[in-house]
Amino acid sequence: MEMMNGRIVALDLSSGEVTETQLEEDIVLADPSCVMRTDAIWKEHGEDSVVLGTGLLTGSLVPGACAGVMAGETGIMPIMGNFAVEMKLSGFDFIALTGKAPGPGYVWARDGIIEFVRSDAVRTLDSWERTDRVRDDQGDRRIQVLSAGPWGDSGNPCAQLVNCYWGGEDKAGLASRLASKNVLAVAVRGMGELSVVDPEAHFASCIELRSKVVSKLGEPKGLASYFGPAGRDDLAALVHRHVACFGCPHPCRTFAKVAEDPKQMALSHKEPGYLHYDVPGLRKAFEVGLDARSATEVSMMCARMGAEPVAVLERASSGGRELTPAIVRELLATPWDMEPLPAGRFAGGFAIDRALAMGLCPRLWAKAGFDTSAIMPCVESAVGRGVPL
Amino acid sequence: MSREGVPLKLDFEPLKCVACGLCETVCSLNRDSVLTSMGSSIILHVDDKADYFGLVLKTTGDGLVLARPEGPGAPQQPGSGGPGAKPILLREPCDLCGGAPKCAMVCPTGCIKVVD
Repeated sequence: MEMMNGRIVALDLSSGEVTETQLEEDIVLADPSCVMRTDAIWKEHGEDSVVLGTGLLTGSLVPGACAGVMAGETGIMPIMGNFAVEMKLSGFDFIALTGKAPGPGYVWARDGIIEFVRSDAVRTLDSWERTDRVRDDQGDRRIQVLSAGPWGDSGNPCAQLVNCYWGGEDKAGLASRLASKNVLAVAVRGMGELSVVDPEAHFASCIELRSKVVSKLGEPKGLASYFGPAGRDDLAALVHRHVACFGCPHPCRTFAKVAEDPKQMALSHKEPGYLHYDVPGLRKAFEVGLDARSATEVSMMCARMGAEPVAVLERASSGGRELTPAIVRELLATPWDMEPLPAGRFAGGFAIDRALAMGLCPRLWAKAGFDTSAIMPCVESAVGRGVPL
Repeated sequence: MSREGVPLKLDFEPLKCVACGLCETVCSLNRDSVLTSMGSSIILHVDDKADYFGLVLKTTGDGLVLARPEGPGAPQQPGSGGPGAKPILLREPCDLCGGAPKCAMVCPTGCIKVVD
């Protein structure tokens, strides 16, 4: 099957048993939405399950082909960066996690193998340390890790999953859902390959599509291309570089350095700053009066703890007190003190739209305009026929 | 490899790189007709927590060409595990895609350029 592995895998965390289901090509191409399929797999495995999915075009040369999704009882979230591509290249299109592991650890998928790795030590680590630990343990710095921090472990509904080191996708409370299964991280590494029907035509059509997309987007300015306040002077003074997710010609991720000179290009400080792409989080930080440096420091603290920054900042700024990173640090140390947010609070953080359904970045395609006729030649050259977009 | 008799090579402006990874993928696609990063002659080196990234190209004539953000003359930081990592030594050198390097065509920022 082109562009897919044709494999749904279910890992029963209680027993360690792995069950695979073949994904039929005709069924996928007739209804290619990975959002709908992930949701269907989640329903099939029960409300307690958590399911990760990749799109038909994830990992292709179509601009912004980085996306995947995760679904659980509390909602659905997009997965950006490089995680979904690595997951697909690990040999699995969809991963369902059921049951509860007998102790803490992480799910590890690579080379068509998936397993639960028991690790009591992981529970003592924050999300950044978890990513470092998994990469060290498995010996590969390009392993992609979704991890819950201490807030997820505590079952706090205001927790967020962190994608390697950065937050912004999980507005659905899925960190706590995973942690309730003793899954403190999900790690993937893809050394496989995806075939396409006509490589030359796929390359040519995607280059042509990229030209059309870029012509609509203007000069790339990192996160400021999508969220104007990210271009304000105090944040601009901290900008180190702009970073793309896989396959993106118009990156929306802006790295701000607060622990060393932003102009330092050599590798020196190991934790110099934060990669901003969480628009609601940054907007909230500015709304409560934080300057760019403090907003960056707060974002780092929230990511490390696996805490959703909008909820944290709402609570920290209650009563009208002047907010500082120190106040947020104090709050983050007591996650059990947070009150659950009203049901549905996290819904709609990202548009769950047609682009995401295909494994494409919803932010890029919302700005460029999702033009099905322009995208179709890329799809046809990849899978051999048109599909409903 | 040459274009109308003029030798070609790839040149880099590392600070233009956004770490999109397309150069790796199209290199493998050209070589093996599949989408992956595992067969490419060019690799993206990433230390994501430090926001440090650059490119490494395996060439026939010049060995490993490093496109580091701090520039070609800067010393390698000890213990960084930086560009020049082992896997690329096991890969095929760049063949310039027969005269029309696809990594340069797919690079969205102009970080990778073909020069005569």
